[in-house]
Amino acid sequence: MRNRLAVVASAIVFVLAPAAIVACGGDDNKGSSSTPSGNQAAKEPQLEKGTTLTLWTMPNSPKPKEDLDKMIAPFTAKTGVKVDVQEVGWDVQFDRIRNAAVSGEGPDITQAGTTQVPFFAALGGFNDLNDRVEDIGGEKAYAPGIWNTTKVEGQDGVWAIPWFTEARSVYYRKDVLEKAGVDPATAFKDLDSFKATLQAIKDKVPGIQPFGAPGKKAFDLVHNVMPFVWDNGGAELSEDAKKSTINTPEAQTGVQFMGDLIKAGLYDKSQLERDGTQVENQFKGGKLAVWIGGPWVLGSISRTDDENWVDDARNNVGVAPMPTGPGGKAYTFVGGSDLMMFKSTKHPNEAWALMKFLSEDQTQKDYANLLGMFPARLEPQQQVGDSDDNHKAFFEAIQNGRTYAPIPQWGQIENAYKTRFGNILDSAAGVGKAYSAESVKSQLDAAAKEADGLLAQSAG
Amino acid sequence: MSQTLEPAPEATRLRDSLPRRRPPRRSAARSRTRLAYWLIAPAVTFMVLVHLLPTIGGIVLSFKRLNTFTFARLFDAPWAGLENYRSILFDSSNPLHDGFFGAVQNTAVYTFWTVGLTLVGGLAVALLLNRPMKGIRIVRTLMLTPWIVPSFVVAILWQFMWQSDVGIVNKVLVDYTGILNDRPIWLLGHNTIWAIIIPSVWRGLPFAMLIFLAGLQAMPQELHEAAAIDGAGPFKRFRYITLPLLRPLIAVQLLFGVIYSTYQFSIPYVMFGNNPGPDADLMMTLIVRQSFSNNLFGFGAAASTLLILIMGIWVFVWYRIFKRDLEVT
Repeated sequence: MRNRLAVVASAIVFVLAPAAIVACGGDDNKGSSSTPSGNQAAKEPQLEKGTTLTLWTMPNSPKPKEDLDKMIAPFTAKTGVKVDVQEVGWDVQFDRIRNAAVSGEGPDITQAGTTQVPFFAALGGFNDLNDRVEDIGGEKAYAPGIWNTTKVEGQDGVWAIPWFTEARSVYYRKDVLEKAGVDPATAFKDLDSFKATLQAIKDKVPGIQPFGAPGKKAFDLVHNVMPFVWDNGGAELSEDAKKSTINTPEAQTGVQFMGDLIKAGLYDKSQLERDGTQVENQFKGGKLAVWIGGPWVLGSISRTDDENWVDDARNNVGVAPMPTGPGGKAYTFVGGSDLMMFKSTKHPNEAWALMKFLSEDQTQKDYANLLGMFPARLEPQQQVGDSDDNHKAFFEAIQNGRTYAPIPQWGQIENAYKTRFGNILDSAAGVGKAYSAESVKSQLDAAAKEADGLLAQSAG
Repeated sequence: MSQTLEPAPEATRLRDSLPRRRPPRRSAARSRTRLAYWLIAPAVTFMVLVHLLPTIGGIVLSFKRLNTFTFARLFDAPWAGLENYRSILFDSSNPLHDGFFGAVQNTAVYTFWTVGLTLVGGLAVALLLNRPMKGIRIVRTLMLTPWIVPSFVVAILWQFMWQSDVGIVNKVLVDYTGILNDRPIWLLGHNTIWAIIIPSVWRGLPFAMLIFLAGLQAMPQELHEAAAIDGAGPFKRFRYITLPLLRPLIAVQLLFGVIYSTYQFSIPYVMFGNNPGPDADLMMTLIVRQSFSNNLFGFGAAASTLLILIMGIWVFVWYRIFKRDLEVT
């Protein structure tokens, strides 16, 4: 018996030993200093030289780690605080950040998608930055839609700071519009002219699809549909974020606007099989005349190594703000990424110094330029917007940008909406259930019911 | 007389030495068992740590109310009793469990066709290749290539091949051969289930073929010759000789095929992301989506436990059907 115990015990030691070694290795990464200097009341706390911060970033640019390392080099030179930049793919970042927040084993700072912030914040693994944000100008230094992404509905804290921003605008081919005889200045002015423009392209310009957008395979399907819902006076949730309003007549009109484009043959249904990047490449490849996309595509026009572009498309890109709805406003989705500080960090002051550095106007502008995104802060945003007409369209879009209610369940609700929007577009394309006002309504009812169920979740 | 019974001096020495040797022999046997324990200890420990404990943990979690607000507490989350099971099985109006029965149905359809086509197709190809002909080795090797492609890659390749406007499938069906007039849409709607069944069969068939081919080649030719002399045609020989002799191989492949197909995840996930839509949502994509995207880990754990039970029933049924064949092998 004793022998058996010995066998089991030594086997366990044998199995666990490597884990222990790995755990020690993990600690080393966080640097050797262990005195948190959070209690020092001074406005500019002494930074500990030789500290190493870990920063999780997602693949924002072609070489995410190298690009960011270069960006941060001046910070390390100035403060002596080293930064270990680790790349975390978009496909796994949600799981990894969540796990890090729950387990307390993670980096010091992480990038997070703007719509994810409330969920992560609700996990309780992040520092409230409310006392620090005055250092970077606080709320007034940002567009309201963007600042909203740092909060959680019904709470006072500031759980993130905006890092970079994107909004959606209408991309079009100048040459195709010319052939179709449509004036670009008014082509996408409102929903009716948007549709009329696509019709003109269909009638007069053969060999190119008027419009395309991805279906349920795109992670951002909801971002593409919601502007049309907002335009028609609909909303994703009620004012108090307690109930889904996705099945209201206004919201239905907005969703049906997209479905009807498919029905009318103006929206290429084969794009529904593709994900967002693949459809983007269809526009770059000259297959689509009109497409809705973010600012990073503007940045890729001048990149000769982006071989997805065909010359006709590359040389004729125009950008227009999203069409104005019957309510008189041209809504668009505004998103991007924020930075969040983990509660488990042993170096909150150093971490904040880095976040502050990344919020400096020049760093913001340089990094956003590199990514083809927009800076999160108003001042540098304005400067980028002034650079040309296409960028100006995006700058305006950001100021009109809208995002979702900052509630922890939003990600789940977005999934529920995405499923139903995908089904609706599929049925408009002639696959799945028949497309009609009733079938759209029943899908939206199901979406609302699921969302209400998700909203009713509680900690009890 | 008595003298003859006296052992020779050498034998005495030998006998004297025996008692001293015997105990070591016994302890050698014991130390052999001990060595065996030592050798399997790491495997047992690993199995307990990475298999048994998580399984028990998962079953425990299926009795918890885990959602966006409670999942971080994991085992401390509020106790829900049988609530998760009850709502999955009997409360079809529960919006959070939408799609469960659809996924069960899709999984059954997927498994039926994938396993059926793989086995039938594998057997057919094996019969074709089980004959002497020129270049047979090259053909056999070529037939095996889909099997060495990782399923992740299979899904990516087929995803492009299925695209309705530029994919090779529609090019062949519509542009090159004119079999169809309209370009079918494969990756949306009702066709999606076929868009995952066909690549699964494509990948699984070579292995089935390999197993059947090995079985066919090990088959004694005398039986076929004798039957042929007795006037049995090829179909009768297949029906009464080949097929019964292949039964054990069919049994084993059926067991693994059904289990593997029911737990299929990578092909639909890579092709459609975590939501393949109502026509191709399988049990695993549903469980993964609800658990890891929607934080409904209690639902996921309960659905997984039910899946384990279903598989347990399948193994039991399978065992009853093929018990005889297993004894033969």
